[in-house]
Amino acid sequence: MATLYRAASPDSLIVAPVDLLTAIYHRASGQTHLMASPAPEILDALAEAPLDAAALLAKLRADYDLVDADPAVLAARLDELVETGLVERR
Amino acid sequence: MDENTTDRQANEPHPTRRRALMLGAATASVVISIRPALAQTSASVLTCEIPVPDAGRAGMYVAADGSLVPNGTKDAFPGATKPFKAEDVRTALNGGTLPGTTYEQSRAYTAYIRRLQHGTAGFTCFASLQMPRG
Repeated sequence: MATLYRAASPDSLIVAPVDLLTAIYHRASGQTHLMASPAPEILDALAEAPLDAAALLAKLRADYDLVDADPAVLAARLDELVETGLVERR
Repeated sequence: MDENTTDRQANEPHPTRRRALMLGAATASVVISIRPALAQTSASVLTCEIPVPDAGRAGMYVAADGSLVPNGTKDAFPGATKPFKAEDVRTALNGGTLPGTTYEQSRAYTAYIRRLQHGTAGFTCFASLQMPRG
C-alpha cells in the first residue's frame, strides 16, 4: 500500500505569510518553520485528509497550474516536511 | 487533451483564478526550522518521560486520533498505567509500537503525544524528541 502523508491539524498551527515566505508555528513542537512555496501549498493540500504522493500530486494539479511537475521533487519536499514534524508518514 | 486545463494556453486571458505552483527540478528547497530555546539542551533527552494522558486528565480514554474522550468511550483506549520513556516514544514516532500496547493502542497514544502542547506534562520531552539531530 502506498505511503500516506498526513499534515498536522490546522488548529495546531499558526500560519503567517511573511513576504515571499510563510512562517508556521507548530504548537505541538514549539518550533517555527519558515518555508517557501511549494511547501505551504503541500501542507494545505494535506490538511483535509491524508493522501499518498500520487493523490497529492493530482490534488495539487487540480488546485494549481503546476509548472514542470516532477514526482521526485514532490517526494523530496514531503521528506522535508516529515523532517519538520509538520507531516506524518503512515 | 480536451480537459478544462489551460496549461498551454498562455496567450489567452486567464479564464480562472488558478495560481501557478512551481514543482519542478529547479525548485529550491527552503524550509528553515527555528528551535525553541527550551529544547536546545540535549542532555537527558532519552531519560525524560511522557504520561498518557497527563495527570490532570488521568482517567480519560485516548481515541484513535489522539484526542482525550470520557472513559468507557467505544473504540478508545484507557490511559497508560505508566509514563512512556522518551526512547520508547522516539521508536514509536518512527513507526514502532509502544511497549505493552497493541498496534492500534500505540497509534492512539502516539497521536496523543504528537498533539501535546505547551503546559502539558510531557510536552518538553516530546519537543526534545522533535529536534533534528546534529
